[in-house]
Amino acid sequence: MTAIRKTWGALCMLTQLAGCAGNGDGLDASGRPLSSGSGDNGVLTPDLASIQANVFTPICTQCHVGANAPQGLRLDAANSYGALVGVASSEQPGVLRVKPGDAAASYLIQKLEGRAAVGARMPLGQPALPASTILVIREWITSGASRGAVASAKTLAVQTVSVAATEVAIAMTQPVDASLVNATTVTLQRLDTISAEPVTIAAQLAVSPVNDTLIVLTPDQALTSGQYRLTLRGTGAAALAGWNADVIDGNGDGAPGGDYVQTLTIGGAP
Amino acid sequence: MITLRLLGSMAAVILSLSLAPAAARAEPYLAVQQGYKCIACHVNPSGGGMRNTFGNIFAQNVLPANKIEVGDDSWTGAVNRFVMLGGDVRAGWTSTDIPHQKQSNEFDVSDARVYLNVEAIPDRLSVYLDERFAPGSATNLEAYARYWTADKAWFIRAGRMYLPFGLRLEDDTAFTRTVPGINMTTPDTGVEVGWESTHWSAQLALSNGSAGGPETDNGKQVTGQLVYVDPRWRVGLASSFNQSDAGDRAAYGLFGGLRTGPVAWLAEADLVVDQGFPEGTRNLVSALLEANWAVRSGHNLKLTAEWFDPDRDVNNDEQTRWSAVYEYSPMQFLQLRGGVRLYDGIPQNDLQNRTMFFLEVHGFF
Repeated sequence: MTAIRKTWGALCMLTQLAGCAGNGDGLDASGRPLSSGSGDNGVLTPDLASIQANVFTPICTQCHVGANAPQGLRLDAANSYGALVGVASSEQPGVLRVKPGDAAASYLIQKLEGRAAVGARMPLGQPALPASTILVIREWITSGASRGAVASAKTLAVQTVSVAATEVAIAMTQPVDASLVNATTVTLQRLDTISAEPVTIAAQLAVSPVNDTLIVLTPDQALTSGQYRLTLRGTGAAALAGWNADVIDGNGDGAPGGDYVQTLTIGGAP
Repeated sequence: MITLRLLGSMAAVILSLSLAPAAARAEPYLAVQQGYKCIACHVNPSGGGMRNTFGNIFAQNVLPANKIEVGDDSWTGAVNRFVMLGGDVRAGWTSTDIPHQKQSNEFDVSDARVYLNVEAIPDRLSVYLDERFAPGSATNLEAYARYWTADKAWFIRAGRMYLPFGLRLEDDTAFTRTVPGINMTTPDTGVEVGWESTHWSAQLALSNGSAGGPETDNGKQVTGQLVYVDPRWRVGLASSFNQSDAGDRAAYGLFGGLRTGPVAWLAEADLVVDQGFPEGTRNLVSALLEANWAVRSGHNLKLTAEWFDPDRDVNNDEQTRWSAVYEYSPMQFLQLRGGVRLYDGIPQNDLQNRTMFFLEVHGFF
């Protein structure tokens, strides 16, 4: 018993040198300064802003943030929507992390409920989220998994692009005019072909029926490993625009106009 | 008699839970207690995963309180000269008490995995697989081919593997495992070169840097560590740099171990500089100090103190975790664990102030 006391005493003394838990003064529930505007009223509601503030940021981003986020899934406020909605799971590529309108088929829910085909229940090493919390996230997904106000932008622009062999999901900052989403305004080209010229990939284009900020490009044939160029047209008469007729800010200058061009890599590109 | 001893030991575990203030689980303490390098007991030079022949013999003759005799031969993991098998199953019960919430508890299988090592050319060229079968369906965690030089001083391996960084604690929820983000839940794909000498152990890996996910950019991760092992103490340095479109991330670790009589000490401190946060760069710091007291053969009391600062630029946000766990090995290849973990964080976050009790059965071979 003396040895226990000595060992425990030494542990306590050495740890005191490092410090104790913070008192939380001036911080929100996520441990961020109140002035950073990251807090909310603490009541969980079925919208992304509330889920972000009450679940993703305080719980999930303990691991899912930055360059070493497990499975490349970053759930901070700037990336969660683009990483989740309409994006294939890396553990189960046939399942979308969040399938708007279908909570049961969404990998996020499967992981939170502990019924995913792969891996442990999330959050890892922590107690399962209360059923009431998962129910609210389910409700958000069932109602379309809208981006809501959390990432609303003044201009229509590309938020994130997620690529899988069978689908390219383009998350926009605002709702898109579906009538303008076609093979002229959105193109995907294979770059590393034998010929010098890029080859346009034949694909179906649509705005998600339950999420009007998400453009889904479905290639007629699964994409093979290689490099591709995605272009969203923001110049000329046939330009991509939102419901308010504002043309996409493709070049990122903060004003409507300019083409959006991004090189994408599928698999182990040669 | 064995049943009575088991019941008595379970009672001792429960009694220890009521007396001890804080739990974690880790295996590097065994190396420190014995003065061994990780490669003495594991196929992987940086520890974890399949036990080698010596590791299996150690698990039968040194670890347990009692050894059940099985005859003239015993399990060494070797099916024949070329093929080795191994495995781990961890199942248990966990109860969590979060302030302002109803206490929850559950039984679960936290881990079930099988290892296969085929020495196509004994002691030189091998193919290794680590497949997890629970929870969820089968998932590959490690799959690599490795080549050793004839003098066993250098190796190179390529494939999917755990990266070398700091103390490879079995508890992947320890702050020093989650903060650097390099642990046994995030194997990566790449190539690693290693060097082993009497006292030194070193590894250097180049990998995708995608933490188990598919590669999404051209940035790569370089991870390495250098460890000096003395029979009574050891010290190591680790570092990692991950270039990513999400923001570059650098991690630095200082770790070591010391044996003082029956107590084996482990310590690690890590600094992470991550540019991938929405507001820009954050500097994160985590530290661990652990004492393992070998009460007697087959019994280990583990006391752990951890500290975590999620952002050096923000005051009052630090977290601590105090753990106590009693580990009892009643017979070879079986370990019973019981413990409690006390989390202490900012008062406005209930989850950072939870208390967790657990009992675990760990069977392995």
